[in-house]
Amino acid sequence: MEFLLENILNLVGFIIGIIIGTFAYVGYKNTGSPVLFRLTIAFFAIGIGFGIIWGGYVIDDLVLQEGKINRGLQALGLGTQTIGYFFIAFSHTIKSFFPKSRYFRSVGILPLFALSAMNIEHIIRSFSFILLVYGAIETFVSFLEGKQKGALAVGTGLALLAFGEFIAWYSLVFPESILYSISILLKISGLISLFLPISRLPLRKIKFDDLEDEEDEEFGK
Amino acid sequence: MSTYRKQIQIVGDILDAAEELTIDQEGASITKLIQKANISHSRISKILTNLVSQGLLEQVDSKRACKYKISVSGKEFLREFKRFSEFTDNFGLTI
Repeated sequence: MEFLLENILNLVGFIIGIIIGTFAYVGYKNTGSPVLFRLTIAFFAIGIGFGIIWGGYVIDDLVLQEGKINRGLQALGLGTQTIGYFFIAFSHTIKSFFPKSRYFRSVGILPLFALSAMNIEHIIRSFSFILLVYGAIETFVSFLEGKQKGALAVGTGLALLAFGEFIAWYSLVFPESILYSISILLKISGLISLFLPISRLPLRKIKFDDLEDEEDEEFGK
Repeated sequence: MSTYRKQIQIVGDILDAAEELTIDQEGASITKLIQKANISHSRISKILTNLVSQGLLEQVDSKRACKYKISVSGKEFLREFKRFSEFTDNFGLTI
């Protein structure tokens, strides 16, 4: 059951991440906005992250048949997703994410070499949780200021993803309980909520900057 | 709380004003654009020169003063700008 839910979650995450990322990229190409550039990186990273884990499950299902995903691959996928969550939070102007002191910077990296892939995975999940909570709060604040329904849906999506991440971490305390399945369902709901306002925007007629082609033609004359 | 507009938002406001003020083939005067887009004269002059050179605005020769009207590319850019403004608004961000 968990295997199936994990597959659905990662496939949905991959598809939604790539669609939103592509939409943001087209926006960046047409307007040159740095905010859209950051959202492009964020959603491509989230989509690719989910895609890596989905690929891991597919490889296991078709080739290895061990009944569990390769831990290194899982950590890589989660890490890529965390990069995406970081860029969403960064768009809300996180100014001091990394410690300023050189000592803390150097010491901060050390534990990563002393930990197993399993522990790194949990550290990455906790980073994701913090970034998602930050993104959700900032989006809710924007909703309160502007009363835009889309911001409410995106804020709820990020909050559900954060809550799902928290429950997933908590399921370690109670392994083989229903908690992990609940966390996956929460994440799927979060991704759908994230996609809802974007699906209402006219996705048709997506086109890249025609001006570049026209300029090229002029130079070619 | 007042917030500063980014360059791209100012460009969007100028193009929006130009589109609204362009009646027939007349074009909009700088004074009207200043009022509508809420921007200083010194700043709008540079931006208008830039927008004309990029083909988003067209300069219309008039007997009394220089007028500007939005071009086809300008209309296209403005439509995309509004669409992606809505997209970033959904994330609680400004384009």
